[in-house]
Amino acid sequence: MVTVSIHNLTFTYPQQSRPVLNTVNASFPAGQFSLITGVSGGGKSTLLKLIAGLLPTDATGITFNDQSLTDIPATQRSKTVAMLFQEPSTQFTMDTVANELQFALENQQVPADEIPARLTAALDFIGIAALRDRKLMHLSGGEQQKVALAIIVAMDSAVILLDEPFASIDPATRLVLLQRLAQLSRERGKTVILADHDLSGYTDYVDRLTVLADGHLTHLSPEATQERLATFAPAQLRLQHVTVPDNDQPALLQGTQLSLSANGRTLVTPQDLGLFAHHTTLITGPNGSGKSTLFRSLVKLGHYQGVITYDGTDIHRLKRRPYARQVALMFQSAATQFLNVTVDEELTLSLKNSYADHFTPAMVTQLLTELNLDDRREQIIYTLSSGQQKKLQLLCMLIMAPDVLLLDEPFKGLDYASLQTAIQILKRVQQDLDITYILVSHQLSGLDTFIDYHLQLADQHLTYQGVRA
Amino acid sequence: MKRWHIRDIILVTILAIFMGVIFWVITPLYSALTAVFAPMGLQPLANEILLGVWTMAGPLAGFVIRIPGAATLGELLGAVVEMFLGGIWGASTLISGVVQGFGSELGFMATRYRRYNWVTLTLSALTTTLVTFAWSLAREGYSAYHLGFLLLLFAVRFASVFVFGGILTKLITNLLDRAHVLKH
Amino acid sequence: MNPSLKLALLVLVALEISFTHVWTVNVALIVVSLILMVWGHVAFKRLAMLTLIPAFFGGALVWSLTLRGTASSHFLLVIFTRMVAYVYMGGWFAQTTNPLTLTRSLEQNAKLPSKFAYGFLAAFNLMPKIQAEVATIKAAALMRGQVLHFWSPQLYFKVILAAMNWSDQLAAAMTSHGFVEDAPRTHATEIPLVTRDWIMLVGSLVLVQVGLFIGLP
Repeated sequence: MVTVSIHNLTFTYPQQSRPVLNTVNASFPAGQFSLITGVSGGGKSTLLKLIAGLLPTDATGITFNDQSLTDIPATQRSKTVAMLFQEPSTQFTMDTVANELQFALENQQVPADEIPARLTAALDFIGIAALRDRKLMHLSGGEQQKVALAIIVAMDSAVILLDEPFASIDPATRLVLLQRLAQLSRERGKTVILADHDLSGYTDYVDRLTVLADGHLTHLSPEATQERLATFAPAQLRLQHVTVPDNDQPALLQGTQLSLSANGRTLVTPQDLGLFAHHTTLITGPNGSGKSTLFRSLVKLGHYQGVITYDGTDIHRLKRRPYARQVALMFQSAATQFLNVTVDEELTLSLKNSYADHFTPAMVTQLLTELNLDDRREQIIYTLSSGQQKKLQLLCMLIMAPDVLLLDEPFKGLDYASLQTAIQILKRVQQDLDITYILVSHQLSGLDTFIDYHLQLADQHLTYQGVRA
Repeated sequence: MKRWHIRDIILVTILAIFMGVIFWVITPLYSALTAVFAPMGLQPLANEILLGVWTMAGPLAGFVIRIPGAATLGELLGAVVEMFLGGIWGASTLISGVVQGFGSELGFMATRYRRYNWVTLTLSALTTTLVTFAWSLAREGYSAYHLGFLLLLFAVRFASVFVFGGILTKLITNLLDRAHVLKH
Repeated sequence: MNPSLKLALLVLVALEISFTHVWTVNVALIVVSLILMVWGHVAFKRLAMLTLIPAFFGGALVWSLTLRGTASSHFLLVIFTRMVAYVYMGGWFAQTTNPLTLTRSLEQNAKLPSKFAYGFLAAFNLMPKIQAEVATIKAAALMRGQVLHFWSPQLYFKVILAAMNWSDQLAAAMTSHGFVEDAPRTHATEIPLVTRDWIMLVGSLVLVQVGLFIGLP
């Protein structure tokens, strides 16, 4: 049983002026399941990494039962604290599930003859004995997170840290992981600290909620925690203007007997699907249900079964270069889209290669001002906050002015004011250039007057919602 | 002197694998060049033109990772990847990897791992060309060529190594430098 | 055979035939590698590839040496058989050696520091991700109207940025999974190194020396 205490912890990243964490004081009691919440980019990851000893710091401010991590021999630290990361696929060293568990136990110098039993027990506890000899790279994100937790169970770490572990995980897996974590804290006395910006579905599992805002931590009492969790309602989608598209209308992008799968898991069963020109279509569905996979298929980056046509031609027969002008994807990770170093260089590139004569440097300056980026023109993109990167990415893709723009989580990390501005700009550009938008978004507020059609992905099927026109 | 840490080892290996992917991408080009040059008895020219791509992992790793041995390790691991993918030169790839990597390493060694600029990259291109050419004299029987042809091969090889290991590598590292991700 | 010794044998023999001119030994190495590959159930298609590739490139090299050089027919025969021997020996090694077993053997038998052994493995497991990333970067650039070729600095720039991220993440995950540089570890899978392995290594080397130095053509 280990209690984590934090005393007057301040942390500033090199080359940044403002501290991410400012004189933080906190205590995470042994055997409790604590949830940390706060806006993305607000320092939750930094705090967890500091607790795990993964960031270089003097770290005297963090203690485990009054002992600092540096006082514990390096080979024993994983028995004290272990972390499960946001990105499922880059947390493994070995090829298969069993080999990875074996690797972790060998690191802890567990005698060779005890390893098989510990390995089996951990897999059984999480309920993934069947995955034992599977290749990690062939597993879904959800399965990979289960394996990551099994490793921590096998290592028997006293403090379990989880950094946004459900970001791309399907709801069923999320539920299993939550149940196991609650069990670990209640039955095995583990100290669980989980960071998540989304508070839905935690009511039955979490003992205490901690809020991280402006570099400061605030613990809520058990009563306040339950109240806050109970009243937290995921942003409801209230679309009053959506209609089911007319059957006679020709689709711009048409899937015929289209089905999608990833790592052997079926995401969409064969169906016909039309996506329509000059409108805005919103696709919603649970995490990990295949929305991004659908987008990748539409831009010829993913495998699919069936046929996808663009304007009547099979996209397999369209050359990549001209097709990229017709259908472009704004990737979920903003950095993927950038090719240069500074904000100005990116904008210049988009202006140079734009398919429309619409945008002028003066107009771009105006848009930058609206998005609060006008004083950042010389800044290195990779030092912008995630929200600023997202806004720049949106601008770069709009300037390109493709016929169809697919937007994968375009509003991620944006504050409310930026979100409103972004939607205004999107609408304006659509009016001027007649662009077709298809977007995937978890951010649902403020979209009502923007969305024409709403496609819901549920039970491996995409269905248009709303009333018939 | 800087020591190897796990992060650097993973990074140099990923770079090597990426260069392996690049080799894979240019293999059709290499085959096409060989097919064009072969009838005239100019096959080695196909080699020489692209050799700079094969040896680029060395200077790139040396410049990005800045630890003694980075160039050699980057090139050797690239060779390991190539051999497991079933490359054209089979077992000798491993030896070539060490030879090529050591060739570029000499350039960094000459500047004592302190300077990372044009001088270093030019030196590295020169040492790479010299060392690998000596190896080709033995392995591929270049020693049997007429002197004139041999000089042509040498010149083309140096040009290729300089273009890819020198110019291209400098352009890449300039971008990395401006993005502030290179440790000094 | 123990993978580390197998690797040593491969490198030593390949190095030696690079500097000697005995085509009969090259042919013997080709035959032995072929037998070992057939015995190790290497697919026929693979064998065909391993034959066609050196035949094409080796043939082109020999033809070039004929036209542009002063090589004797014996020298040409040596060069051609050498190329085929390289590929066959490499094929034998690559097709009959498991990279994980090799790495474990290098760690346990050859005393390679574990940080290198597991650093390599962690990165090698990312191979499919690296390939996918290259495709994504090229597609994302196309959507910005930019075509990336193998000579475009931006392609390398983007890949290196991704590689830096991944190596940070993997290194953190390894630490979190208890890995400590230069610390002792236990080994649940022992890679045996027995006298028989040494006999095979020394025996093979002696045979090659005999072949090379008794005056065979």
